[in-house]
Amino acid sequence: MSQPTNPMRRSASTATGHGIGGAQTTSAGQPSQAPPTSGAGRPTNVAQPAGVPTVAGRLGDATTFVRRAMSGTPGRLRILAALGIVVSLLFGVSAFSTFGSTNDALSRGEANTAQLVRIQAIHTNLVRADADATNAFLVGGLEPPAQRADYTRSMAQASQLIAEAARAQSADGPALGALNSSVLSYASLVEQARATNRQALPLGAQYLRLASSGLRSETLPILDALVNANQARVGAEFDNARSESGALIAAGVLALLVLIGGMIWLSLRTHRYINPPLAAATAAILVTLVIGAIALSAVGSRVSQVRTGSYAATLATAKARIAAFDAKSNESLTLIARGSGSAFEKAWKSSSTVVADQSAAAAKLSSDATQMGALWTTYVDTHKQIRAADDGGQWEAAVGQATGNGAKTANTTFDAFDSSSGAALTSSSSAASASLEGPRTWLPFAAWLGLLVGIAAAVSAWWGVSLRLEEYR
Amino acid sequence: MSLTSRGVLGSAFAALAILVTAGCSNGGVYATTQIPTPAPPSSTTPAPSATSVAPPAACNPLASFAPTGANPAPGAMPAGSYMATIQKRGRLIAGVSSDTLLLGARNPLSGRIEGFDIEMLKAVSKAIFGDPNKIEFRVITAAQRPAVLKDGSVDIVARAYTMNCDRWQLINFSTEYYLAGQKVLVAKGSTAKGIEDLKGKKVCAPVGSTSMAKLKTFPGLVPVGSDTHTGCLVLFQQGKVDAITGDDTVLAGLAAQDPYAVVVKAPAFTQEPYGLGIAKKNTDFVKFVNGVLQQMRTDGQWAAAYDTWLKGALGPAPAPPAAVYGRQP
Repeated sequence: MSQPTNPMRRSASTATGHGIGGAQTTSAGQPSQAPPTSGAGRPTNVAQPAGVPTVAGRLGDATTFVRRAMSGTPGRLRILAALGIVVSLLFGVSAFSTFGSTNDALSRGEANTAQLVRIQAIHTNLVRADADATNAFLVGGLEPPAQRADYTRSMAQASQLIAEAARAQSADGPALGALNSSVLSYASLVEQARATNRQALPLGAQYLRLASSGLRSETLPILDALVNANQARVGAEFDNARSESGALIAAGVLALLVLIGGMIWLSLRTHRYINPPLAAATAAILVTLVIGAIALSAVGSRVSQVRTGSYAATLATAKARIAAFDAKSNESLTLIARGSGSAFEKAWKSSSTVVADQSAAAAKLSSDATQMGALWTTYVDTHKQIRAADDGGQWEAAVGQATGNGAKTANTTFDAFDSSSGAALTSSSSAASASLEGPRTWLPFAAWLGLLVGIAAAVSAWWGVSLRLEEYR
Repeated sequence: MSLTSRGVLGSAFAALAILVTAGCSNGGVYATTQIPTPAPPSSTTPAPSATSVAPPAACNPLASFAPTGANPAPGAMPAGSYMATIQKRGRLIAGVSSDTLLLGARNPLSGRIEGFDIEMLKAVSKAIFGDPNKIEFRVITAAQRPAVLKDGSVDIVARAYTMNCDRWQLINFSTEYYLAGQKVLVAKGSTAKGIEDLKGKKVCAPVGSTSMAKLKTFPGLVPVGSDTHTGCLVLFQQGKVDAITGDDTVLAGLAAQDPYAVVVKAPAFTQEPYGLGIAKKNTDFVKFVNGVLQQMRTDGQWAAAYDTWLKGALGPAPAPPAAVYGRQP
């Protein structure tokens, strides 16, 4: 569409008639002096010097045109058509945006949940590696190869997950960078402890203590910060996914009010009870609104279910596992400290309480987590035997039970808890992910469909009103 | 009509643009995760200033309680004595170091704690039970020594424990079983001939030890505290301190673990008589232990223990320190 180059042409082109606009338009640059009047039939175009476009003139023209187009019954019809088009399109756009942003919020909620699970897996791997390193150290002489392999595997998984987590969430980048460097210094201290230990020097123990205390004072707080940040993000996205339907309902109700009001006005004016295109537009918006609102509330309740169900179970299981490995490390550190490890035993007790509480919470939420509590109690019994032996002066016997692989040893009972809780974590986190994934198959489709309904309703509204407008020609 | 609908369409698209951007703004953009600021590790914090108690006048730190006659036979501790309590329990509970090579250190190969201090405990165990290995070891730091004696969680402390009048206020000591002296350990190739040459350098010593108290009397040095001497060696290897000060026995054990660490040749600048620490109330046990030590001095056990642990690092055995008695309860 070419822009009008001066007010004369503009008024000429629009004033000439409805519909086939521009048929009598004079070519640009040749202003017609006296434009023909028509339709509303009010003489216009008061003394305006030809070919001298001024701002005042332009404004005056526009105002005049609008006043003329909107006056009388045809004018009111035009206003009705315009309103119908605006509210219909607004509804379409709201539907598109509501379904689209619900989909986006679900997608981000799922991504953040995955990131949270990833961060907790990093945490688990690190405390697991530390439990291996400290336990292997208790065994006199060379460390058991299986334990060494488990340490290496845990560290490798942790550093792989750090890279994956950094790729998945850029906001976590700086914290993951700090985490990476502190994991590096932990690993190098453990290696130095090993190398020194291999030369049969007591200095190795000091390097190991330094590694473990650095892990707890420096590395784990970064992980806690990452867990908190991602938990907050998951919560925010779950809130977003549940509370999107407001705009859709507001726009839908507005559109219905305008269209129904228009139909009533038309029926009063024209003595035709029903304007089929307008009625069709109203019905389409009503159906879309009802179905959309129901579907969105279903998404909302599904999100609430995930939040209090499989997502909560995932969080509880992960917390239980982290606390469990921390307790296992502290058990070894208590024995390494040999008589002055009361601080480590205190830490064991608080970790063990966390494991029991979180296992109970997880068992209520997920049928896969019901074994965790009982298996932990079995390990706790073994731990109590170890403590009783150590406190009774049987340090060697305590170390034997803490490092051996027999039926009543800490390693065996702990492994049972580890494999059960690991399976529970996998099942609850994939259940959470699947539940969030479900609505995402139809939400994008619903968004485009909603937009189409809005456009179709707009066309229909214009069509319905223009049928009546024709009668004024 | 055409312009009207154009206007309507225009405003509708404007509304669309607003809604779409409203829906998408902030989506997926989060505040950067905050990195917590870690508390500085306690091992490198400067040591707190010494809180030394003025020693009472006329105190001989070496004087302990004289044994009353010959010790009872193993397994026959007199009823009511503290030794009978130990015998009834079935083991001697001893506070030791597990990382002071040569004096008391865990052997990483066997997992056993061994050293010159430990030989003294074995002799005490043998005198009570007839078995040198009825000992439960509690690994403690230098700073924990008075506390574990006071609260009764150990019977005896054998952990390079220097006898001095301040400490006699809190606990009892046996007679002296070794005379050490404070020296300084530096990196190989250092030009320092003594501790005076280390002005402006960071020097490490364990918190709560006499070495730390003495270190603070040298002006111009930067004292750095650690839990143990091994902790100091880690700081030394990491380049966080320039030197370590401590008893020659302890430093010999550190130098044995690091070929790049040497003990400065200058004579010791303090005298550190080692005694076995025992709780203030157990005077009978002190007398018993003094009897055991006296036996070791005379029958060659002391010299055998020295030869096993210290001869390689500190040269041939000197005469065992003579017992000094005369303390009044």
